[in-house]
Amino acid sequence: MQQEVVLALLAKEPSHGYQLRARLREALGPVGDAMNAGQIYVTLTRLEKAGLVASEPSAGLADRPDRKVYALTPAGQQRVADWLTEVSWPRPDLAEFHLKLVAAAAAGLADPIAIVDTQRRELLRRLRDAQRAAMAEPDRSAAGLLLEGIVLRLQADLRWLEACERTWTPRRDQS
Amino acid sequence: MAPGLGRDLRHHPAQAFLLLLAITAATATLALGLALHGVTSQPYQRTRAATNGPDVVAYLPVLHRPGRVAQPPAQVTTLVHDPGVTGHSGPFPLVGAVVRARGRAAPAEAEGRSQAPAVIDQPKLTAGSWVRPGGVVIERTFAGALGVGVGDRVTLNGRPFTVAGIAVTAANPPYPNLCYTGGGGCWASPIDRGTYPAAAATGLIWVTGPDADRLATSADPLSTYVLNLKLSDPARAQAFANAHGKGNNAGLTSSPGLAAWPGIAAADGLLVQDEQQVLSPGSWLACLLAVASVAVLAGGRMAEHTRRVGLLKAVGGTPGLVALVLLAENLIVALAAAAAGLAIGFLAAPLITSPGAGLVGSPGAPSLTLPTAGLVIAVALAVALAATLAPAVRAARTSTVSALADAARPPRRRARLIALSARLPVPLLLGLRLTARRLRRAVLSAASIAVTVTGIVAVLPFHATARLTRFGGSAGLANPVISRDEQMLTVLTVMLVTLAVLNVIVTAWATALDARHSSALARALGATPQQASAAVSAAQVLPALPGALLGIPLGIGLFALASGSGTVTVPPASWLAATVLGTLVAVAGLTAIPARIAARRPAAAILQSGLG
Amino acid sequence: MNETGAPILGARALRKEYGREAGLVRAVDGVDLDVAAGETLAVMGPSGCGKSTLLHLLGGLDRPTSGELVLAGQRIDHLGERALARLRLGTVGFVFQAFHLMDELTAAENVELPALLAGVSPRRARRRATDLLEHVGLADRARFLPSALSGGQRQRVAVARALANEPLIVLADEPTGNLDSEATLDVLRLFDSLHTAGQTLVVVTHDARIAATADRMISMRDGAFVDETRLTGGSTGSLGTLAGLEG
Repeated sequence: MQQEVVLALLAKEPSHGYQLRARLREALGPVGDAMNAGQIYVTLTRLEKAGLVASEPSAGLADRPDRKVYALTPAGQQRVADWLTEVSWPRPDLAEFHLKLVAAAAAGLADPIAIVDTQRRELLRRLRDAQRAAMAEPDRSAAGLLLEGIVLRLQADLRWLEACERTWTPRRDQS
Repeated sequence: MAPGLGRDLRHHPAQAFLLLLAITAATATLALGLALHGVTSQPYQRTRAATNGPDVVAYLPVLHRPGRVAQPPAQVTTLVHDPGVTGHSGPFPLVGAVVRARGRAAPAEAEGRSQAPAVIDQPKLTAGSWVRPGGVVIERTFAGALGVGVGDRVTLNGRPFTVAGIAVTAANPPYPNLCYTGGGGCWASPIDRGTYPAAAATGLIWVTGPDADRLATSADPLSTYVLNLKLSDPARAQAFANAHGKGNNAGLTSSPGLAAWPGIAAADGLLVQDEQQVLSPGSWLACLLAVASVAVLAGGRMAEHTRRVGLLKAVGGTPGLVALVLLAENLIVALAAAAAGLAIGFLAAPLITSPGAGLVGSPGAPSLTLPTAGLVIAVALAVALAATLAPAVRAARTSTVSALADAARPPRRRARLIALSARLPVPLLLGLRLTARRLRRAVLSAASIAVTVTGIVAVLPFHATARLTRFGGSAGLANPVISRDEQMLTVLTVMLVTLAVLNVIVTAWATALDARHSSALARALGATPQQASAAVSAAQVLPALPGALLGIPLGIGLFALASGSGTVTVPPASWLAATVLGTLVAVAGLTAIPARIAARRPAAAILQSGLG
Repeated sequence: MNETGAPILGARALRKEYGREAGLVRAVDGVDLDVAAGETLAVMGPSGCGKSTLLHLLGGLDRPTSGELVLAGQRIDHLGERALARLRLGTVGFVFQAFHLMDELTAAENVELPALLAGVSPRRARRRATDLLEHVGLADRARFLPSALSGGQRQRVAVARALANEPLIVLADEPTGNLDSEATLDVLRLFDSLHTAGQTLVVVTHDARIAATADRMISMRDGAFVDETRLTGGSTGSLGTLAGLEG
């Protein structure tokens, strides 16, 4: 879990750890299912040590183990502001798969088409999972938007695989 | 502009061809109608000019004295020397004779003529040559009734003769309205043909003078001489006749009977009036129906254009450009059709208007004149223009999007109709719903059927009146007036029915083409080919029914209007019912043909072609 | 996910040719296929690969040039037009990319049409149409003409129409091809609810998204099947990894 994400979630108002978790769940939907429940506390502890977050004990609710309310320090607020203006985008690692095909064809180790097929099946299953999760989300939910992003990226990957297949098919015929 | 036009003609060749065909039929009918109209106007005057017809014809009785050769009476000198008379021909002897030809007999007057042409009233030959010894010339209508032509053998009072020629004259009305010679002159009053004895209908034959003398028998001696007079003032002909003769005092054989040309013209009109009674309104009917059917067709094309107007606007066409494209398209189709229609009219007109066809009483009738051609082209162009204006105006007004969508009408709540329609068989129900939501299309096909039925119904009264005027107790000879009427009626009926049938075909096929997608879809959903084509037929027959019913009063009214008589003739109810039923059956049948052809193709192919 | 049963649709060496000699096109070139009851099958391939033709053959909308086709235990490859019409009416429901609703009929009238054609009484047909429109979430649009509906709504009406006679199998040809992402999701949800209810479904598409929702996916190229993937096994990664969330 990226520290900046947790910091940003605190930007609205000082919150309990469990409130942050609820907000994350809402935004991620089924994507966040695999997330470890304790992970957010680990991150909060680290942030507190770094001086970006301050905590103070909460007033009531003695029965809850989690009694701390977390809030951003000025340094934390500065960090959030910097993060929001940062330009970053995940880079898909296509070169590796591409080189795998080239190497397999060149050395005659494996059929590139078979590699493509295997890869496609895997991507299709992932697409199915993402698509079914998207179908389960209500319209215009934040999680649905995230799922649509996943679906579209997988679609793009599948299209690229189609292109790979088209390109490698005649080469196989020639060799 | 041109590529758009070409594309339209290429992509909708069937529609463009059907439109071309229909406008061609309509313009051909219009051309024929106009040609016929021109022919029937003033035929007597034409004959009078061609034969140098007399202003007054004097029938001079001779008192028969047994054993002595008859001599022209003394009145001849008096009349010829009258100051008002500028020229004369005759006197010619007139003998009663019984003509026998082809096993039929008829009474006739034989007029003895010189072999040299007369200055006044030289009958105009329409076939053969002038009289010669043993050779006779027969008045054309009489020849038609006898069924004889040039070269045929006939007998007069038992003597054999050859028919040398056929001719027309302005000195006598044509058979069977010949002037009475028994001192009578001509009656301009119409004769009630229902009671008119056929035996009394007398024909006119020209023979040589000596032949005429030989025809006289003791039982039927030469009793009359004919003198043709030309006056200095033809307008005073009737006054001249009144002053010198005893006009209508029939039976006084000692007085001359004088017939003035207006009276002859009026008696001649008995025949021509009948022809005009059929031809003139008939030609007007043909013209009106032709214009109406073209208007309906253009209207259909207009509706078709709505969508394309949207497309043109969507790619940036200004209303002006849109109008130009539509105009170019319609003009080309209209001009091509007008040219084809004129060509057909030009070829067909002589067949029904030439003197040889025996249709019209005057020689040298024009078939297709320049003004006629101009009018036909003008009508075609006007229709093209009108068909362009409406969608062009609409193009300027409607939004691009709604023109593109060309959507069906949203349904209004008509619980009763829905409840009723739900009980109908599925094809009828589907047809009803398809019709109800495409009101413009339905109205157009209803209008087209109305025009069709109007044409047929308007022809029916002719047949109804023709039956009334049939010769009572006809003794062998057909009344040529009636047979001519019927001939013309046949031509007119064929013309109008052809137009009507083409209208129905065009309307039905256009609808079937329109409904191709719907019926393919119904089949994809599991309708059998029969159900699908029945639905298409129902969608066409439903608007056709009110159209056909509307055609009945329109047709009756149009006939009354065209005949100018103001009297309303209602054809027998059974005929009307047969017309409506026949039209509906024809519509259903014609729609079913393309639907059945489409039904043989797999539905998938039609649905996919509809995707583009 | 319900269990799939015995095959209800089978094809052997199915072939469909158009044209002649030099212009001969093998739109479907020797296809073997079994569709089990309750299964959702996707046939995926680029446009022009013959998948639409295959679907038309499977639904009796077109006749194969050669090969065997068995639907619900009955050979259908040699049936005449009438028999095929009956088959389409009762056994097959079609959903098309272009919706193919009758523009002149309201949503409810479109939906009830197959039932009326099958001889169901008008009252019952209308009631069924109302139920189906409610099922696809368009109860309030029953009296609208197709031109007044959005693309997604039109396709949902078309799906309702396909279900009017409770068909054994629903065949969908590029059902989301003309739809935006949100409307696509609606149609897919609808298909999923059909699947849950045990409806057998065959979808042909060039869109991997649609194909991925099926139980099984067949790839088609140049009229023949080239690959088959069972998708119900699940993928190796979690959604979190797909979204870039580190475990």
